[in-house]
Formats: sequence, structure tokens, C-alpha cells
Amino acid sequence: MQNNRKETLLQNLKKSTAEWTSGQGSLSDIVISSRIRLARNMEGIPFPSRADKAELKNIFELSKQVVDKSSLFRDSNLLLLDELSSLENQFLVEKHLISIYHAREKHLYRGCVFNQKETLSIMINEEDHFRIQYLLSGLQLNKIWEFINQIDDEIGKKVTYAFSEKEGYLTSCPTNVGTGLRASVMLHLPALVMVNRVNDVLKAISKIGYVVRGFYGEGTEVMGNLFQVSNQITLGLSEEEIIDNLEKVNQQIISQEQKMRKNLLSESKSQLEDQVWRAYGILSNARIISSAETMKLLSKLRFGVELGIISYPGLGTINKLMLLIQPAYLQILSGKELSPYDRDLQRAILIRNKITYSRERMCI
Amino acid sequence: MLCQICKKKEATITIAKVVGEQKTEFHLCKDCAAVFSDKISIFPLPQFNINDLLAGLLKAIDLYNKEEGIVPAKEIKCKNCGLTYEEFKQSGKLGCSVCYHDFRDQLTPLLRRLYGSSEHIGKIPRRARGKLNKIKKIKQLRKELREVVIKEEYEKAAKIRDEILKLEGVLKK
Ligand SMILES: [Zn+2]
Ligand SMILES: [Zn+2]
Repeated sequence: MQNNRKETLLQNLKKSTAEWTSGQGSLSDIVISSRIRLARNMEGIPFPSRADKAELKNIFELSKQVVDKSSLFRDSNLLLLDELSSLENQFLVEKHLISIYHAREKHLYRGCVFNQKETLSIMINEEDHFRIQYLLSGLQLNKIWEFINQIDDEIGKKVTYAFSEKEGYLTSCPTNVGTGLRASVMLHLPALVMVNRVNDVLKAISKIGYVVRGFYGEGTEVMGNLFQVSNQITLGLSEEEIIDNLEKVNQQIISQEQKMRKNLLSESKSQLEDQVWRAYGILSNARIISSAETMKLLSKLRFGVELGIISYPGLGTINKLMLLIQPAYLQILSGKELSPYDRDLQRAILIRNKITYSRERMCI
Repeated sequence: MLCQICKKKEATITIAKVVGEQKTEFHLCKDCAAVFSDKISIFPLPQFNINDLLAGLLKAIDLYNKEEGIVPAKEIKCKNCGLTYEEFKQSGKLGCSVCYHDFRDQLTPLLRRLYGSSEHIGKIPRRARGKLNKIKKIKQLRKELREVVIKEEYEKAAKIRDEILKLEGVLKK
């Protein structure tokens, strides 16, 4: 572990961009990122919701030891979330390092371990003692499983996990028991939305045990044509089966999206071009813009890049913008709290700068 | 009739597996049936959000328990963390790992309904490997056995059955 101070860590997080925004990886024109999360608990200690202060502290200190000693966590750091403001907590949510639930939970000794590339994050004392997450750009579930399996083993050297041979890894909620594994893939599906097919496709997959959510996770509306597909079954299948099945389901959605894109390009190319260039025009000229409008237009622009209608900005820049324009992120970047109106002003400036910069680079 | 798996002993047990509207019958001897049958699941996969399903099931499960003659749930309490089953039904969250043991009679049918299975066949933590690896292997073989029997590949099934019995013998020692 690097043992940096809280202020330094937040300063670094402000400047850093997570690997998952890179726009690299398999099928990155449709798949933004893939993620796997493992829920783990320590034997003999009640789950966080029923643990007392000393027990929560115990888990936190143990995590510190694990991360301190192992070379796997060489470039990782540990934050005690209790010490952060609610804005800073929200910033970590927007960075996908912690869940909304973790940011708002009231009990003490909530922690977050994360590495330099922000591919790994371990939530400590969330709903379970440990929630290990690994996030990469593009469709890379197998690679993620390889990494996270190793990290899980490493923690398992120090921590005796709550495990029963019958029910597997024991978790606070029975909807996670067994493998404790939730895998998810974030998809950009503008063509399926445009031809009104997306609901049919998503309804069909929810019938076979998968769940679809919007950009944030639980309970928020879908923004920017982004859909997160994840498994619901955690028990009775092996980790490999869960991952394989999810990958297959996603391949099916992807091939439908590809088919629709082809159709749209051959039948309504001019309309598509018009929409993409209008989006570009507004984004590079607006002076006041809300996050909802931004997400809508960034989705159009991304669609244009994916279809080869426009060559700048790159997918990486668009992914980063989707991240940076969120309310807490904007305020952290400005170094102060902003009213919603001031955020709309700052957002427009940020977008203009990023988009102009990427255009100038393209022209050289 | 001879047992469909070993094709040696007399088939004395008939097992019906129902998937949707399709019903398949297997005629097995006592030994093969013991290995084969206890893991058959007739519960379909969930068709809705699993959290909604859990909430709905928690309401329905009392009824199920009454029919099965299981002790009324509200008297049950986890010996380790003190959570009552009633509290679990309210929140949908368990209090500690011992809850899984103390509420097992209630949880097993619940997990079957949620997942179509109540048995973990995935990863085993480093500290529990060895013994548990054999148990895991047996579970996998049972699953394979089910699949080959459905495909009516009985020679394969016999081989798998022998392997299961061998592993179980090792575990008993
Ligand atoms: Zn037989
Ligand atoms: Zn308990």
C-alpha cells in the first residue's frame, strides 16, 4: 500500500482518469466497460448492518493489514470514507469506486481500497464486509475474472471467509449467496433505442434471469442510451458458467445492435449525419447545459464516432466527458460547491475545452 | 425392468423430472437413484427482478412452511447475532453467517425458489479446500450425471456414478 494522505489521494483522484474510460478493449464501439464484483464476509463477525463499532473497526484494520503486506496491492490506497464530506463521497460514487449505498450508509469504518488505474476497488463494510470489484474497458469478463480471482485468494490468505459447503459464500442478502458474484456489462445501444426495439430485447433477457439497469446502478433512469446488463443468479452455477452465460447474452444484444446500426446507415444516413453534427454543434458551442442534455448529446456524438460519421473526439474523450460532467465531479474539479445553475455553466466550459482540444489535435 | 443407469440391478424406483410441460421418467435401482435423485430441482428460474422475488417469497414462505410442518418461523432466532426470522422477513437481510445455519430449514426452500438450486458448486476458499474440493467434484459429477441421463447416454452415466461412489467412499474415511 502507498499510505498516502487523504488530501493527496483526493487530489490524485481529481486528476486521474480510470482505465475503463479509455475506449479500448474488445467491441468498445458498443461495450463501454465490464465489471465483476465479489461479496465476501469474515467468519465469526456479524455482517456490517448488525456489527458493533469494535467489530467494524476490526474489519477495517484487517483490510489495512492485507493491503499493506501484499505485493498485489503495491499501488493501492485505502480511504476511510467517514472522514470525507458527502460531496467527496458522491464523487467516489460517480467515479464508480463505491456504491450509492456505501456513500450514504451511516455506520462507522466504511472504507474503500482502490488502485492507481482505478480498475480495482474494494468496498469495506458496505452491505458485506468486503465487496471486491474489478472494472475494465470493453468486453473483458474472462480477464477480469482472472484478476479478481487472484485478489480474492490473496485476501483469503488472511481472512477466513464465511463459507458453507452447502450455500457457498455467505452474504448479508440471500440474493448474493453462493458465488457472491455479480458480473455486469455496460452497453451503448443507440440504434436499438432509435428503432424502438430496446424494450423488447431487454424484456426478453430479464425473463431468463438477467437484470438491466441504467448508467448509475439501482433505481435511476437510463441516461445516454447506456444499459448495464448483469446476472441475478449467484447460486447453483460456477463462476465460469455465470460469466460465460452473461457474455453470451451480451453477444446476442450486441449483434442485434450491430444489425440495427447497419440498417440505419443504409436507410437513413443523411438523418443520422444531421443528428450527429447537430449534437457536435451544440456541445461545442453551448454556454449553459444540463447533465441530462449533455448525456443525450454525447450519446449522439458517440454514435457518430462509432459509425465513422465523425472522427473526433475519440471514444476515450467521450467516455471521460460522460464521467466528468456529473454534479459532484464538476464541483470537485472547481474546488468548491456550485449551485445547479453554476454547474450548467461550468459543464458547458468543460465540454467546449475538451471537444475543441481534441479537434485541434486531429487537425495537426 | 433393469436400471437405466447401471443396467445391472432391477429398477425399483421411478423418478419423474418435470420441466415446463415436459415430463421425463427415469427407472432406476435403489443405489443409482440415491446418487441421482436428491439433487433434481423442479423449480424454474426466476422471471423477475430477484429482489422483488425475494420479497414476494418471504411473504409466501410461511404458508409453505405450514404445509411442510416446519416450526412456526417467528420463534426462531440466530444463536450468534440474535436476529429473529421475523426480522429477516422484514428486511430481507441476514445478520451473520450463523443465521444461514440456524435458519436453514426456512432458507433452503427459499434459495431453491430463487435460484432453482440451493447448492453452491462454485469456488471454494483456499482455507477450506481439500475436503471441500472432493465435495465440489461430487456435486459437479452429479450434475453431469443428470445431463447424460437426460440424453440417455447410460454407459457414460454408469462411469460417472462409479466415480461418485468412489469419491464418497474416500470422504467417509
Ligand atoms: Zn442402477
Ligand atoms: Zn446471525
